[in-house]
Amino acid sequence: MGHVLELNLRKSYPDFRLSVSAAFPPGIVAVFGPSGSGKTTLLNSVAGLVAPDDGHVILNGRTLFSTGQKLNLPPERRRIGYMFQESLLFPHMTVQENILYGYRLTESRLRRIDPARLVDLLELGPLMDRRPGSLSAGERQRVVLARALATSPDLLLLDEPLASLHVGIKGRILRYLKAVHRRLSIPMVYVSHSMSEVLALAHHVLVLDRGRQIAFDHPRKALAQPLAAPLLTAGSLENLFDVTVLEHRPSVGITLAALGDTVLALSLLDHPAGEMISVAIKASDVILASQRPENISARNVLEARVEEIQFLGNRVLAQARLHERWLVEITPDALENLNLEVGGSVWLILKSTSITPLD
Amino acid sequence: MLSSGELQALRLSLQAATLGTLLGLPLALSIAWILVKSSFRGKVVLDTLVSLPLILPPVITGYFMLLLLSRGGPAGALLHRAFGVDLVFTWLAAGLAAGLVSLPLMVRAIEVAIAGVDPRLEQAARSLGAGPLRALATVTLPLAYRGILAAALLGFARGLGEFGATIVVAGNIPGQTQTLPLAIFTDLQAGDDSAALRLVAVSLVLALLTLTAHHFLARRRGLLRHPWATSSN
Repeated sequence: MGHVLELNLRKSYPDFRLSVSAAFPPGIVAVFGPSGSGKTTLLNSVAGLVAPDDGHVILNGRTLFSTGQKLNLPPERRRIGYMFQESLLFPHMTVQENILYGYRLTESRLRRIDPARLVDLLELGPLMDRRPGSLSAGERQRVVLARALATSPDLLLLDEPLASLHVGIKGRILRYLKAVHRRLSIPMVYVSHSMSEVLALAHHVLVLDRGRQIAFDHPRKALAQPLAAPLLTAGSLENLFDVTVLEHRPSVGITLAALGDTVLALSLLDHPAGEMISVAIKASDVILASQRPENISARNVLEARVEEIQFLGNRVLAQARLHERWLVEITPDALENLNLEVGGSVWLILKSTSITPLD
Repeated sequence: MLSSGELQALRLSLQAATLGTLLGLPLALSIAWILVKSSFRGKVVLDTLVSLPLILPPVITGYFMLLLLSRGGPAGALLHRAFGVDLVFTWLAAGLAAGLVSLPLMVRAIEVAIAGVDPRLEQAARSLGAGPLRALATVTLPLAYRGILAAALLGFARGLGEFGATIVVAGNIPGQTQTLPLAIFTDLQAGDDSAALRLVAVSLVLALLTLTAHHFLARRRGLLRHPWATSSN
């Protein structure tokens, strides 16, 4: 498949220099890096809010910016949707007016996405007459997403869409983003400082560190590169999974949920059975065993297949397959004692309290 | 209560201040927008030039206007030749004088109002397909409208009290260019203190009404700086 976005740009600030060269494939491409690494400058350059010093930006073969051609299309002519981190909804308009703002400015022959469909997909119906000021953070993000998508953009930029949300709502927004990508097939550039989100969502990742591009690859491969590993804070990696609530067992204090064919035991929840929720499991909270342990307090003992073992500095990241790809963080010492082999089986052990619902 | 001459002075004051505000407001909006949004060499010059009528004695402002608008002046000659219009010593000149002296006040107040709207809201509008002017008209101006209205009222109040520039460029012709402050001055000169006091009372009521309305708008403007519009986390 061809490239969606060709980037080649340099931008200098007094204390900082961004230099990027990459051809983004279709799908969701993440831009990952610690804060101050130039992620937002990169997005703003693509959106036309910042003019690079030098280089070019080409979207689906259409040149948006080129110092060689002395071309710099203004943001309103780039057909790029932008989901800002701080939402930036228009406070003097209702939700409906916000969503229709860009739609009305889009030529009718370019309108591919019906706003009514977005309202449906993002479940905004009950909010249409409200003002942004009366919305919760999660509701605001859904409206911003709908507002950007209503222009039928050729590309959607997302700047840390989950950063301003508390844990309990992140899962829902993540699922909406996945649904949007699946149903509307709009290529996305997703900026995040969370490798967990990148791994859960993106097909490709560009890793930035202080303005330098240090990797551009599939997320799992990029993760393993020597320069990328130090950017991952120990203990920060999480597995983000969507699970279906099966049943509650209040007498024993657990809720059962399905991840594919696997049944997980979670701390008691109040979500109704049948509902899909997202959960986070810290990679460092998962214990590995080479044999099935007997009589153990942890409620989840699951057999999985080892897929990859990588060294991240002085840590080891093991990846195991059990319906989803599980990330498990252990020490090199533990690895030595375990005798893990790629392709071999391993037992994943985790307490019910280690599974954090994101809804 | 008021004599017909005094009523005429009141009417002329309101006319001149209204004309001055109507002429000054679009100009003040444009200048304030340029001062807030753009950076160019010579911005300081524009800034200084706009502030000048605030600092200069109004008599001098009036004198400059006279030089410009009289039949011998560049603008005056042009108007006379093209339209046969002479502005000097008409209430229109009083309106122009009111507009010019209140311009710096309006520009400053509008600058504050525009600067109070998160500029990234305009960027959001741009990314949704709005050109710079549409983004201004649909996002920034509606969000700043109370501040702009307050600025207009401030300009109107200043125009009502205009004296120095008016007497130079419009004269003090009863029934034609004699506004309230000029009528008060004339009464005082003639030693008619009771007539002067009546007009002082009228002026005070007008000023208080305008300032109350301004205060109301300026106070409520705080509400318009929605926390969610400018969330700066």
